[in-house]
Amino acid sequence: MVNAHATTELERDGSNPQPKTAKRRLPFLGLIGLVLLLVGPWLFDTYLLNILVKAYFLAIVAVTVDVLWGYTGYLTFGQSAFFGIGAYAAGLVFTHGGLTPGNVFLALGIAVVASVAVAWLVGWLSFYREASPFFATVISLVLPIVFVQLLLSGGTWTGSSSGLTGYETFDLSIEAWYWIAGSTLAVVSLLAWVVVRSDGGRLLAAIRDNESRCSYLGIDTAKVKTILLVVTAVVAGIAGFGYGSFSGVAAPELGGFVLGTELIIWVALGGRGTLWGPLIGAVLINVITAYLGSSMPFAWQLILGAAFVLVIVLLPQGLVPVLLRPFGLGQYAVHEPALVSRPLKMQSNAIPEMPALVMDGVAKHYGHLKVLEGIDLKANAGELLGLIGPNGAGKTTLMRCMSDGAERSSGTVSLCGNDIRKLPPDQCAKFGLGRKFQNANIFETLTVAECLRIAGTIRERPSLVRQAATLALPQYALDVVSTTGLDKKLGVAAKDLSHGEQQALELAMVLAQEPRLILLDEPTAGLTKTERTQIGHVLSSLAHKYKLCCLLVEHDLDFVEEIATRIVVLHQGKIVMEGSFADVVNSELVKTIYAGSSHAMQDPV
Amino acid sequence: MILFLDILTTVAILFVVTAGLMMIFGVMKIVNFAHGALLTVGGYAAYVVTQLKLDPWLSWPLALVTGMLAGMVVESLIVRPLYKRPLDAILATWGLGIVMGQLIVIAFGREVQFVDAPIKGTWSIFGVDYSAYRLLLIPVACGLWATMTGLLNGTRFGVKTRAVIMNEDLARGLGIHSGRIRFITFSFGTGLGTLAGALITPLSSVDPNMGLNWLVSAFMLVMVSGHSMASLLVTCLVFGTFQVLVNTFVSPVLGGLAIAVLAAFTLRMRPKGFANG
Repeated sequence: MVNAHATTELERDGSNPQPKTAKRRLPFLGLIGLVLLLVGPWLFDTYLLNILVKAYFLAIVAVTVDVLWGYTGYLTFGQSAFFGIGAYAAGLVFTHGGLTPGNVFLALGIAVVASVAVAWLVGWLSFYREASPFFATVISLVLPIVFVQLLLSGGTWTGSSSGLTGYETFDLSIEAWYWIAGSTLAVVSLLAWVVVRSDGGRLLAAIRDNESRCSYLGIDTAKVKTILLVVTAVVAGIAGFGYGSFSGVAAPELGGFVLGTELIIWVALGGRGTLWGPLIGAVLINVITAYLGSSMPFAWQLILGAAFVLVIVLLPQGLVPVLLRPFGLGQYAVHEPALVSRPLKMQSNAIPEMPALVMDGVAKHYGHLKVLEGIDLKANAGELLGLIGPNGAGKTTLMRCMSDGAERSSGTVSLCGNDIRKLPPDQCAKFGLGRKFQNANIFETLTVAECLRIAGTIRERPSLVRQAATLALPQYALDVVSTTGLDKKLGVAAKDLSHGEQQALELAMVLAQEPRLILLDEPTAGLTKTERTQIGHVLSSLAHKYKLCCLLVEHDLDFVEEIATRIVVLHQGKIVMEGSFADVVNSELVKTIYAGSSHAMQDPV
Repeated sequence: MILFLDILTTVAILFVVTAGLMMIFGVMKIVNFAHGALLTVGGYAAYVVTQLKLDPWLSWPLALVTGMLAGMVVESLIVRPLYKRPLDAILATWGLGIVMGQLIVIAFGREVQFVDAPIKGTWSIFGVDYSAYRLLLIPVACGLWATMTGLLNGTRFGVKTRAVIMNEDLARGLGIHSGRIRFITFSFGTGLGTLAGALITPLSSVDPNMGLNWLVSAFMLVMVSGHSMASLLVTCLVFGTFQVLVNTFVSPVLGGLAIAVLAAFTLRMRPKGFANG
């Protein structure tokens, strides 16, 4: 899902002069909404009230779509199915059982339970390793189509294509319904707003930016997304229950995929990733559709479709934020927590006496091509292992086999005494492994502070409601942050950092998860001389002072000589030599294989 | 016997309907959500031919050309700017599908219409009488498969296209104009989409939503088959057979969902689908 979203998140530059006013104006907008909600019945006629009640229920679903798509990057056409499930729960129970207090709870219960069950199944089908975001989207398209087909084949029980109508429902005035729908919308939006802004809620944006990084930080992203889908499905189901109870109609269109796509259009036009944009968009478009739809139905749909294409191509952040920008809205208030040191937590899964890494007979084949063969390797806490070898020797593949159980073809790997079997990267991270990639692998739209907080998720779960005033990191991560000057850039988006700063940020992120074994793939590549010295000091102190096991792939032999305690030479997929730097450099064998000549190693570059 | 012919013709129809989608997915790595609308456009091209009392065979080239022209405009105006935002690209093609659908409604109305088939009646084969036009689609699908395979494996353009499919950056580095390859394949894919629309309309009827019914099955087949023409054929064979069996022995309603549901589970169990054998 990397790069799938370009500029959906509004600019959150630290240099932005307006965050303070935004802080005051967003509640102001909310206040206008609340006043409208309160006095609506005296302002609007019955026809408009009717439309608004329906629009409010639909806007609730639009808010859930925004959370899933705008914040988490999961493009879904399927939220309408949950709305339909809620509406049909009301329709079916009230049609066949009548309106009794018991049946109301029964219907609501069915709406919730059915939504949970279906959402869980859809989550299981859509979110797994190697599943492409397209695939999840296509599954979300299948869901409403299957749902509608089942309704159509339900005969008189579901009312088939005309749906269920005329069932007895709550005897409430239109004003009461207006307040019920409006306050539900307000509560749902407020809750969503609190969660997405919270420290824990930033995880959604982290998944959108870089799902694989999340997983190497020990976060089970499939589980997070499935839980999120279940929660949003329940909300959509309850909204559908409200809609079905209010209108007295449960028609297949309510769960159909046309509505599913309309939800996407409302969210896109309103402004994804803002919550209030989709809310305003959904309500306005519904009201306009009700008035224009009768006089010029086809032309209006055409305009809507064309506007949608234009917005997607030219204005990905949506219309409402652009229209409201002159009023100072839509600017993010940058939150900069204070850094504090936290004591190292007990490692729950790592067994301290065991070696950090044991590889036994590890091999990796691509068909007949053997990339790694018979790798036996052991590394202990406090060691700083340098892994060298010519290009194509299999160094990066070896690292992959340590950090992802599904990578190797045979052999066993154990991390701190835990056999990794075929377990995914997030489990390996929980066994105490941290991996720093060759290219800075960070969360682009998150600020430095947010990246660091998400990175520590497996040690300290961020709150889902608050923005903490402090950011606690283990001392060695703090050292990296302060020596590289990142502590002065906590509010800067990660994509705006320099190359060296991004590398340092990723290292600090890996350290924030308190690994016992840390893998570094060419940590000095592209760094200046000062930065290289800094990272050398950091790594030495990690191994010698904090007793971490560090394993680095490096081409810079000077650097390896300065810090490594042991060298492992990899050649054509096999370990050909192990020993001290002097042993290796003076070995004739290494001289011949490393560069095909005996001169290369005497003058390391 | 009829069951066997049902299976063969269904597989042929599925292949015809998915080929254009596959072409675009293979090269551009995006699913063209306007594919349903393209099928509809093709259907209406056949309808126009019928209304003008022209030879029904003309509907095929007309549909192909319409689709290719539409594809050229769409690629340069909408898909190209979204190259770096694949999820937005599929949304834009979806929006485009809505626009095309509404234009068709404005031009032709919402009613269900019928078109003339190039050949009518039945052929007697293996002792049963079977719809001649359905049977005709079997050689058409085979011809389409042979043409596309030949194009990809036997021409310079095909070699370049396969290079772009495998590794676009490398291909560009070697001096292949990947933008042009994308442009050509996209318009070719849309042309195949409309052609498929014209091919399938004589089997039923045209209405502004006809494409939607095919869309989900076509998506799923492409997702399962990866990006080689041969695996697409295999996928159509397996899933088409399954669909006909469910249709015949269980219920037609479930038959309509069979492909989508089976494909979803197949991909869950075997994420690479049929791509690697």
